[in-house]
Amino acid sequence: MSVAAFPQDLRAEHGYDNQADHLTLSPLLLESFLLLGHTIVESRDLNPEECRSWNRFFMPPTDRDPLQAIRARLARFLRRAFRRPVDPATLDRFVAFAEKSLASRASFTSTMKTVVGATLAAPDFLYLYNTQEKGGATASAIRQKLDDFELASRLSFFLWSSIPDAALLDLAEMGQLSDPATLDAQIDRMLDDRRMARFCDTFPSQWLQLDRLVSSIPDPEKFDSFYFNDGYRVSMHMMMEPLLLFETVYIEDRSIMDLLDPKFSWRSDVLDRSYTGDATTRGGSVGTLTFKRIPVTDPRWGGVITSAAVLTMTSSRTRTQPVTRGAWVNSVIFNDPPDPPPAGVPPLPEPDEEHRKNLTIRERFFEHRTREDCASCHKQIDPLGFALENYGPTGQWRDKYENGREVDPSGKLFNRYEFTTAVEFKRSIMKEKRRFVRGFAAHLLSYALGRGLSAADSPALTDITESAMSGQHSIRAMLKSVALSEPFHHKNTRIAPLGEIEHEK
Amino acid sequence: MKNDALAHRVSRRRFLGGFGGALLSLPYLESLAVAAPTQAPAVRMAFFYLPNGLIRQGFFPGESQRALSSATGQNNVWRFEGEAAPAGSHPLTFTPTLEPLQKMKERITLITGLDRTFQQGTDSHAQAASCFLSSGAPYTVLHSAYPIDRTLDHLVGDHIGKTTPYSTLELSCNDAKDNVESIYFDNMSWFGPGHVAPSLRDPRQVYDRLFSTRSNTRYRNITDLVLDNARSLEKKLGRADRHKFGEYFEAVRSIEQRMDKIDAMKAEVAEYKTARPGDHLPRNEYIHVMGDLLITALQAGLTNVATLMVGPERWQTTNKYEGILDQPRSHHAMSHNQSEFIDDLLKLDHFHVSAFAQLLEKMDVIEEAGGTTLLDNIIITLGAGLGDGATHQYNDLPLVVAGGGGGKLKQGQHIHCEQGTPLANLWLAQLHALGVDRKNFADSTETLSSILV
Repeated sequence: MSVAAFPQDLRAEHGYDNQADHLTLSPLLLESFLLLGHTIVESRDLNPEECRSWNRFFMPPTDRDPLQAIRARLARFLRRAFRRPVDPATLDRFVAFAEKSLASRASFTSTMKTVVGATLAAPDFLYLYNTQEKGGATASAIRQKLDDFELASRLSFFLWSSIPDAALLDLAEMGQLSDPATLDAQIDRMLDDRRMARFCDTFPSQWLQLDRLVSSIPDPEKFDSFYFNDGYRVSMHMMMEPLLLFETVYIEDRSIMDLLDPKFSWRSDVLDRSYTGDATTRGGSVGTLTFKRIPVTDPRWGGVITSAAVLTMTSSRTRTQPVTRGAWVNSVIFNDPPDPPPAGVPPLPEPDEEHRKNLTIRERFFEHRTREDCASCHKQIDPLGFALENYGPTGQWRDKYENGREVDPSGKLFNRYEFTTAVEFKRSIMKEKRRFVRGFAAHLLSYALGRGLSAADSPALTDITESAMSGQHSIRAMLKSVALSEPFHHKNTRIAPLGEIEHEK
Repeated sequence: MKNDALAHRVSRRRFLGGFGGALLSLPYLESLAVAAPTQAPAVRMAFFYLPNGLIRQGFFPGESQRALSSATGQNNVWRFEGEAAPAGSHPLTFTPTLEPLQKMKERITLITGLDRTFQQGTDSHAQAASCFLSSGAPYTVLHSAYPIDRTLDHLVGDHIGKTTPYSTLELSCNDAKDNVESIYFDNMSWFGPGHVAPSLRDPRQVYDRLFSTRSNTRYRNITDLVLDNARSLEKKLGRADRHKFGEYFEAVRSIEQRMDKIDAMKAEVAEYKTARPGDHLPRNEYIHVMGDLLITALQAGLTNVATLMVGPERWQTTNKYEGILDQPRSHHAMSHNQSEFIDDLLKLDHFHVSAFAQLLEKMDVIEEAGGTTLLDNIIITLGAGLGDGATHQYNDLPLVVAGGGGGKLKQGQHIHCEQGTPLANLWLAQLHALGVDRKNFADSTETLSSILV
């Protein structure tokens, strides 16, 4: 099986890789889809033993005319692939395609395979689209409700990263999916389904921006505990820790506050030793990662912010990057990404080599906070990064820098909470529950809708936040509030297409 | 690449091209090829883009004594205050970074003093590459934070790319596995506003795309079906969705046209087939191999327009730089710490320019019809969207234009432009050299005529 690598799904600014604005189709991508479709149907794995629908779909019928059988089979198949009933004209088109294939002496089975390959490149399969309501040509400014089929797709792509199953489509076809009691029950059913595992992979890795860890290469001379078994990096072990935490919070339906300050964690031996900087780590199999759930009693540890994964990926090869860490905390934890720096800022004066060696990192960034043009933003960003200075570039605890100077993590959060240690910093964040909950709700909603949020979504965010605050911040309840929120049930309308251009003066 | 062996095949291809594929089995007769009224070779265009600016002190004549820039904010305007050349045409001088281009001195022009204009509101790296080839004035593209229009390569492809299987080819040497930056940092080629033309990054993928013809028959029957589907689906969509959906039609049509053209020149393309590139390449070979593939695509007539982005803008990710630097580094991080990393920065710039020089040298020995070479028939530009990686300035951009442009370019000079001359003036001159008749392009004020014969 050789599927050529797809061009990467491109990431939106401060967003997720499912943002409609950024997903565009190029000849290159469409060719990849064509090739993928072909590779799937020609795969050796598509055979009577492995494929459950072989007899129902790929085998020639014994009891009736092949074309009749094809029509019946395709009506079912295309409904599933296109996520709504197939209109008669489209069905005719596919049947005619199959008929032509049979007429050219292709076998029944190979004809059906070609049809499946074509379906996987068809626009109705590739695009999640909203249909226009009748007379809706001018109605773009008015919020239109999703129909039941669109709702089924939105639910399944949000929670299962896939197409709706038969149960959702059946309810949509009967017009019952949006009925409040039915919808409630369906969301519960979906949340209980094993397919939620996909959500637990996709969402947290993008929310936490974990793919940044893939390319972290700390200096092997300085951070030898980051490498084991002759050059394997601890990154994969690091990445598992917050993902397993997220999945546990989901499966046990815990409070989302446990994402920041849980009393447990998941560690492999390799990861455990990497936290303590134990460079003797040379054993351990590379192939299997065994993770154990361990209690966390030391308040310096636990939760995503102080996970080795996040601390490592926000550091450079040789040192921590407090501004990067601060920007990460602001964007990910509070959903308040910093603006790009303003225009025309003159350079920071560069201290000479000798002087620089003796400075702490905080002193090097002193001007950020004192010069007016920098301070307005950096006062918000930097303290959140400096607060984590006790965590070195691969997440190990340190009290002193290499030059012997004491680490000073002290600062003030949101101009309200003074803190002098990393532990106090974390406690201050835990006092700002509502901010975190709202930020998390915004991340979920943006992911669920496949678009950035606007002021119009603010009331919905308030509802989701307040209902989480009045309960136990349960993650399941939050997912459900998102799926029941007003924007989730409305079409994503854009007033005008991007880029009408004024040129040729 | 064995240029000597390939050189003959080129004229053979052009010769056969006039008769369709039917004569392929006949022995090749040199005299016939010369005697036959050969078609004029196609004029081609390519770009070699360098991210994060270059070290000015190494690249620009007269700036070697300037103090190094240090870390700063967005889009500073910096003007050279030393011994600047007056505006006009000067003899070329070879600074340490330009030194690899010595051998090609008759075939290149160094252009200094050109500016672009930054649109406030996004990171300056984000517009450096993505807007380099559209060069629009700020706020001219409605509803967009970026003044991105159809980029120069695609505009030119609309004219000189009609007959080739690919109207443009987009390549990039960004092999970072993380997805930390948005599309704007990583793409210089755009079909239009918000519609990115993604690039191929894996040499093997490029190879397969150029030389695999198997897929043709496979998809042929499918495209009609899906196009019909698309037509009926389009009627159901709202206005904004319909606009976006245009991409699908464009993609299917482009694939269909490519299949037709590839079918017609299958045998010829096979002649250029080399070994499939290896799995892991050190950074230096990776860049060379992508360059070779670009040349092959242009030489074989698979495309007439190509872009190669040597790396993405910003993208803090550390790269191993095997074969170029002794240690893994982040180009962007170094560009903000010039005094500490000056040696590696200069080494990297030198390598990139020498890779460009090698492309020129290879093109210079690829013979084409009428006693010309591929280099005679191309306009290939080395450039960066930032005048300096630390100041993020959009003015005084580093640019080298090479090739004869089919006899339209005057080479072997250093053109220094009047302060405030837009980069679009150069693009307009290139459009004119390629026979695209336009009064202006983006924010151009006039044609940069000093580069034209």
